[in-house]
Amino acid sequence: MDTRISVTVNGVRHDRQVPIRLLLVDFLRDHLALTGTHVACTYEGVCGACTVQLDGKAVKSCMLLAVQANGRTVTTIEGLAKDGRLHPLQEAFNEHHALQCGYCTAGILMNAEEFLREHPRPTDDEIRHALVGNLCRCTGYAHIVEAVRDAAAKLR
Amino acid sequence: MYPAPIDRYSAPATLGEALALLAGAGDDTLCIAGGMSLMQAIKARTVKPRHLIDLNGVAELAGVRAAPDGVSIGAMTRYTEIARAPELRGAYEALCDAAAHVGDRQVRNRGTLGGSLCWNYLAACSPPTCLALGASIELAAAGGRRSVAIDEFLGTPLETARRPDEVLVAVRLPPAPPRAGSAYKKWGLVTDALPVLGVAVFLQCDASGACTAARVGVGGLAAGPKRAAATEQALVGCRAADTERIAAAFAAGAAGLPLQSDIWATTEYRQLLFRDLGTQVVATAFARASGGQ
Repeated sequence: MDTRISVTVNGVRHDRQVPIRLLLVDFLRDHLALTGTHVACTYEGVCGACTVQLDGKAVKSCMLLAVQANGRTVTTIEGLAKDGRLHPLQEAFNEHHALQCGYCTAGILMNAEEFLREHPRPTDDEIRHALVGNLCRCTGYAHIVEAVRDAAAKLR
Repeated sequence: MYPAPIDRYSAPATLGEALALLAGAGDDTLCIAGGMSLMQAIKARTVKPRHLIDLNGVAELAGVRAAPDGVSIGAMTRYTEIARAPELRGAYEALCDAAAHVGDRQVRNRGTLGGSLCWNYLAACSPPTCLALGASIELAAAGGRRSVAIDEFLGTPLETARRPDEVLVAVRLPPAPPRAGSAYKKWGLVTDALPVLGVAVFLQCDASGACTAARVGVGGLAAGPKRAAATEQALVGCRAADTERIAAAFAAGAAGLPLQSDIWATTEYRQLLFRDLGTQVVATAFARASGGQ
């Protein structure tokens, strides 16, 4: 069964007819072609690569239906850079070599961006605890923690 | 994992609208709260609702409120908010402990207390914690409201006393008695994931610091969340410094619990976890009862 939804994604309103069973992540990737949001597990909600922000809060977009975003605001990785300038978190990930294959990176950035708004002066323990929901199989997290710490300082 | 077809999606804005939608609905109608468990079941097609009633837009179901008659936690209050709720500090802080370590940030941003209690998964943290805190569960249907003690609300895993036409409205805690403290801790193979065992304790103390009443809730049991009656009795009279006596209270209580052996841990290992986690949460609860931590 299809239903009509209106979702504001990265500041742009999208009106679409979608099946009720459509997952938010598939709406973003397949209907809006915003393929920066990834799926690294088999939609089990364990990898965190599909993390986006729903009304500013980090959520896994495979754990919601697209219809649940009706009338709401979604921010994806494509909305993080502003006016052609990378977000300080993105710059820090670049500078600290906080990614290798990059598959998990979009989800980590969307989670970390909200985390740093809530915790502008995080300890390393807090950063690590904040990353529990994001699996990275390349880096061993050390450079990710460094990058988040550095971005926090730049954002203050 | 992809959901089976869903025919109808409703997003009521008020509890009244939600209850009207539920009245007379069949087994294929389900309410969805945070969806952190239900969406998994829907994607795996172990649950195939034809009609989903989304409670996320019902503002009156969210929030923690303190009043002279106690603390009320709306069913749709998310873990993130519960973890930092000042109204729960001290006597009911076990709920903050549990909420702060459910899943991960993304799960805590979305998952709700009411959803967890209604799902009553055997390894969930909220059911044993609410059991230890002696919560009352407020349920509403189109025909009226009722309140059920948490001990009666929680059944065997995935079962509760909630009727299909009812919505869990709020978790109510009585006014905190003086010198009361609580704590929850879990142990699992993966950080903050569903635990092998979780223990919650609620203590009341007298002016000298001796325990006058205790409630102990245990999660991770194949039989569903349980209270450890023998431990509760043995904790009465203990003081924070009585570490051996407290450990003995948990060792004694372990014998009366259905601690299963499975691929995650043997019965003997669960007994050890019960004693070890138990002594830790009792120490924290004592400190909170005395105004510390």
